[in-house]
Amino acid sequence: MKIGFIGLGIMGRPMALNLLKGGHDLTVWARRAESMQPLLDAGARGAGSPAEAARGNELVISMVADAPDVAEVMRGVAAGAAPGLVAVDMSTIAPAAARKIGEELAAAGVDFIDAPVSGGEVGAIAGTLSIMAGGSDAAFAKARPAFECMGKNIVHVGASGAGQVAKAANQIVTGMGVLAVAEAFAFSAKNGVDRSKVREALLGGFAYSKILENHGQRMLDRNFKPGFKSWMHEKDLNIVMQTAHELGLCLPGSAATAQMFNAMVGSGHGEEDSIAVLKLLESLSGQA
Amino acid sequence: MRVGFIGLGVMGRPMALHLHKAGHELAVWARRPDSVGDLPAQVCATPAELGRCCEVVFTVITSSADVEGVALGADGLIEGMVPGSVLVDCSTIAPEAARKIAARLGQKGIHMLDAPVSGGAQGAIDATLAIMAGGEAEVLDRVRPLLDCLGKRIVHVGPNGAGQVAKACNQMIMVAAIQAAAEAMRLAAAAGVDCAKVRQALSGGSAASRVLDVMGERMVRRDFAAGIEARLHHKDFGLVIEAARQSGVPVPLAAVVGQQLNALMAQGWGRDDTSSLLRVLELQ
Repeated sequence: MKIGFIGLGIMGRPMALNLLKGGHDLTVWARRAESMQPLLDAGARGAGSPAEAARGNELVISMVADAPDVAEVMRGVAAGAAPGLVAVDMSTIAPAAARKIGEELAAAGVDFIDAPVSGGEVGAIAGTLSIMAGGSDAAFAKARPAFECMGKNIVHVGASGAGQVAKAANQIVTGMGVLAVAEAFAFSAKNGVDRSKVREALLGGFAYSKILENHGQRMLDRNFKPGFKSWMHEKDLNIVMQTAHELGLCLPGSAATAQMFNAMVGSGHGEEDSIAVLKLLESLSGQA
Repeated sequence: MRVGFIGLGVMGRPMALHLHKAGHELAVWARRPDSVGDLPAQVCATPAELGRCCEVVFTVITSSADVEGVALGADGLIEGMVPGSVLVDCSTIAPEAARKIAARLGQKGIHMLDAPVSGGAQGAIDATLAIMAGGEAEVLDRVRPLLDCLGKRIVHVGPNGAGQVAKACNQMIMVAAIQAAAEAMRLAAAAGVDCAKVRQALSGGSAASRVLDVMGERMVRRDFAAGIEARLHHKDFGLVIEAARQSGVPVPLAAVVGQQLNALMAQGWGRDDTSSLLRVLELQ
């Protein structure tokens, strides 16, 4: 399939490489020209603008930072779109923003899917991302072969915006999950108990989770290098809290968690992995 | 002096009347012209037209977007106000929005103060509002005689935006205190103790506060008709959480209180008084 790909950062680059590996005909565009180079070396064509990345293609995918960036590149895509183009945004943005972008693209005759991912850089490289999509059945069917090159667990959640709702729900669970594991570890240590043994014991029971297993191990190793940077997790939790505010939805646990992430970014841990919340807990309880 | 006024709601109307009583000539613009009612004022067709004929313009409206629209939008104040004139914005909006509007007006030589108020409808009627001003000291001095008609305590907090920061702090403390009073009333009732007596006892001690006096009294009487509409506090908490986020400062209590306000909104009590936080606790 002829695919345009926009945004070649820590996630976008490996995702685009997997599309090439899957035999797709790829045109790429990135704001910083040098980030296009690895893709050009691997056989992709370079575009001069988002509009050019869309031109003549059946599918365009964006993976950028925030809602204003998505809106901007999609305006370019609409300008370059051929009839029947499907545009897919895989960034994490607010559901309301995704719906609005979908409406604007529909007015330009472009079918839009919001398809945020979970699984981090590791999942992007391995092609094992979870992909949660919102949009029409027809557009999802068209994008599916591309999704299959990038992810494993691919779910068509519902109509436009539904993918972002699922992603926000994912960030509630992962945000509170990381905090829960960090609190369990702080609790164990303050009680003079070996946290690695606690982790081992818990892995066999109802408290088992991927986060306890993976993030928990990294907490034990005190390896704070980002898989997923805490400022990005904070940004996603802010999407959750703003949406809750708009809807009149009471989320006390998410609110408390969002403030811990806010404190983390404010105290200079924004570029570290979300598990740095452990350091914050330790300093609050005099365990540093 | 000819004074412009935009926003004739529960706060704005008594404020405008005080200015009129002090001998100032009023000009108004209202989105819904019938809201002017019997207010003795010249009615203008647009904010720009209002701006053209006034030395000082007050705005008391709801959201950042509303103030931006009235000040900077098509036919906005910026198109009419002359260099040297002053916009006094008494609305509660984001500090960042206040700074942005001030900067844009400043390019045309128009001064702005962010001057949010605290004291509620009663404070507006009694002219006892607390006014927290952000902007240049000389500009504040120029309009101080007008502000003296509206409030008792007028504090120059700092440059543009500082007034709104102070107001955000005010809202954090006030609504957290309402939540605390509600929880105390709920606990007293659940323990089979007379809430009115508890409130009376507490009023003499270290927990005494204006909130416990006024909102606690409403909770005891179960009079949830609005003094301050809860939806406005809910709106303000959006500003508080965003300001905390931008500063990277944790506000764990405010975050939880914000969720209680979300629950209040979900019950459809947004136009009732914020003492309805008691009713949210009673849902559980």
